Amino acid sequence: MAATMYRSQDRIIAGVCAGLAAHLGLGVAVVRGLMVAAGFLFGAGVLFYAWLWLFVPMEGEAGAASLASDGGPRLRLFRPAPVAVPGVAVPGSRDVPGSPAGSVVRAPRRGVGEVLVGAGLLLVAGAIMSQSFGLNLPFGTIVPLAVIAGGAFLAWMQLDQTRRTGLLNAAKADTPMALLRLFGGLALVVAGVLVVVNGTGSWNLLWPSVLASLAVLAGVGLVLAPWVLKFWREFQAERAGRIRETERAEIAAHLHDSVLQTLALIQRRAANPQDVTRLARAQERELREWIYQDAGRNAGKLVARIKEVCAEVEDLYGQAVDVVAVGDADLADKGQALVQAVREAVLNGVRHGGTAVSVYVEAGPGGVDVFVKDRGPGFDAAVVPADRLGVRESVIGRMRRFGGLAEIISSPDGTEVRLHLPATDDDE
Amino acid sequence: MTDTAIRVVVVDDHAIFRSGLKADLDADLVVVGEAATVEEAIDAVSSTRPDVVLLDVHLPGGRGHGGREVIAGCAALLPETKFLALSVSDAAEDVVSVIRAGARGYVTKSISGAEISDAVRRVAGGDAVFSPRLAGFVLDAFGTGDVAVEDELDKLSARELEVMRLIARGYSYKEVAKTLFISIKTVESHVSAVLRKLQLSSRHELTRWAADRRLL
Repeated sequence: MAATMYRSQDRIIAGVCAGLAAHLGLGVAVVRGLMVAAGFLFGAGVLFYAWLWLFVPMEGEAGAASLASDGGPRLRLFRPAPVAVPGVAVPGSRDVPGSPAGSVVRAPRRGVGEVLVGAGLLLVAGAIMSQSFGLNLPFGTIVPLAVIAGGAFLAWMQLDQTRRTGLLNAAKADTPMALLRLFGGLALVVAGVLVVVNGTGSWNLLWPSVLASLAVLAGVGLVLAPWVLKFWREFQAERAGRIRETERAEIAAHLHDSVLQTLALIQRRAANPQDVTRLARAQERELREWIYQDAGRNAGKLVARIKEVCAEVEDLYGQAVDVVAVGDADLADKGQALVQAVREAVLNGVRHGGTAVSVYVEAGPGGVDVFVKDRGPGFDAAVVPADRLGVRESVIGRMRRFGGLAEIISSPDGTEVRLHLPATDDDE
Repeated sequence: MTDTAIRVVVVDDHAIFRSGLKADLDADLVVVGEAATVEEAIDAVSSTRPDVVLLDVHLPGGRGHGGREVIAGCAALLPETKFLALSVSDAAEDVVSVIRAGARGYVTKSISGAEISDAVRRVAGGDAVFSPRLAGFVLDAFGTGDVAVEDELDKLSARELEVMRLIARGYSYKEVAKTLFISIKTVESHVSAVLRKLQLSSRHELTRWAADRRLL
């Protein structure tokens, strides 16, 4: 049994039954059945349903989730970067910053229309049957009430929709369908109320009354508009303030988790210069990434991946790997192969060169060139034993399989691995 | 280059970094002044008239423009006094704005003592100092392809492109010279030409590139 009750995302109408089922620890079907059955007890079930719908919050609606989905790419930065697994192709950073709720919503709503139509037909059939059994139903009252209920349902459905995607996401209310629903619901309610108030149950007086009430509503709206506007602005300002506050807290938390921890570690390892360098370097890179990635450049692109693997090697060996990139390209399958080849070349440079390694990436319309240079003692590519798979297979072989070229130039001043991957039509 | 000592002013808001840098510099480089803010820096440079100013890009004081403002404040001394920008930041907006303000080169703070001494000597001798990253920015800004432009200022020559590419790949000037079968002096003149273009060009693409990165 769940402590707090939430309406479920797995819903037919508003997720009340599923939420109630989770809350009580019963089966969803049982709760739904009971609710429908109770509906026939003078509408008790319907009233209970409506009451829960109004007062029970939607799952994931409160606080953090809706803020995160609203914050978009900026807040995305605060999440840890995807960890690269050596040798495994990570398909870029494809995580869409969309709301977690957004992707789940659509599926379980199939059949809602059919269910509603069926229920309506059942009600009508019941009414007709009871009439034929001699019960005199006051249609003059029932029809307007039904119209009011239908209108309220439509309008609330809309309200619920905006609440579900997060109250903050005001843009959603602007879609034509949503507006249509809202105003359709309003019109139905107004019409129903008017007919009831007329008391006659007649539709003859409807048009004049509608016009009159619309005029009144317009007048009231005109008077209230400045207040509404003011409240809206205040709400927006408060919301912006809250977002800023959240961001500040996130930054503080990030600095605490990263920089402060690293500084503490550095103090403890002060005796070991290599550890200190490595820690400082890794922290510097992480912080840089965090600060400058803001513009959203390079996300999910080749350069970002190459930087990632270089960072990984840097961490492994505590040797600086500087990446300079000009242009960028999309990360197709061939790009993945190139990234792996670069990783191998950098590893080789760090391991055997034993110095800082420079990586230069140039992506243009003609293809991608990558140069990996170290300043180690160098080696003779011709005399590398055949069983040394590293360079021969992972770099040269891999590039060749994907239609690219690899070249290794080594001298006593250092070694340079040159990789070229021509552009093709399929990976624009 | 003359055999007299090169006079240097170090501008950085961190005292620890200044003293570390002073200790690291070779013996033929004499630090004649230090400054921690924009105002102090302009005073120190104007009064000591050094050969080279090692200038941090981010400085407190002034109107908040840091190193750029110091160079602007010392504009009268510019041909004799050379500025070498130093920064922990390698963001394009920091690097390119200080170069366009008139600095003769740019190095990151993680550079070693020997390398920085070398860079200071080179700047004092009238040459430009390009880090691989700065070369990368230049290639990014001017484009690596062959484009038709009217003003020669707006385009890198084929040779300049080659030199920039090699520097971006981590080659030293000496290695560039060896690879292209030209003298180091020629490499230096190419680099200086690129620096001049970077400072003076008003090319459309460069402007847009800069605007994209909020440099303007």
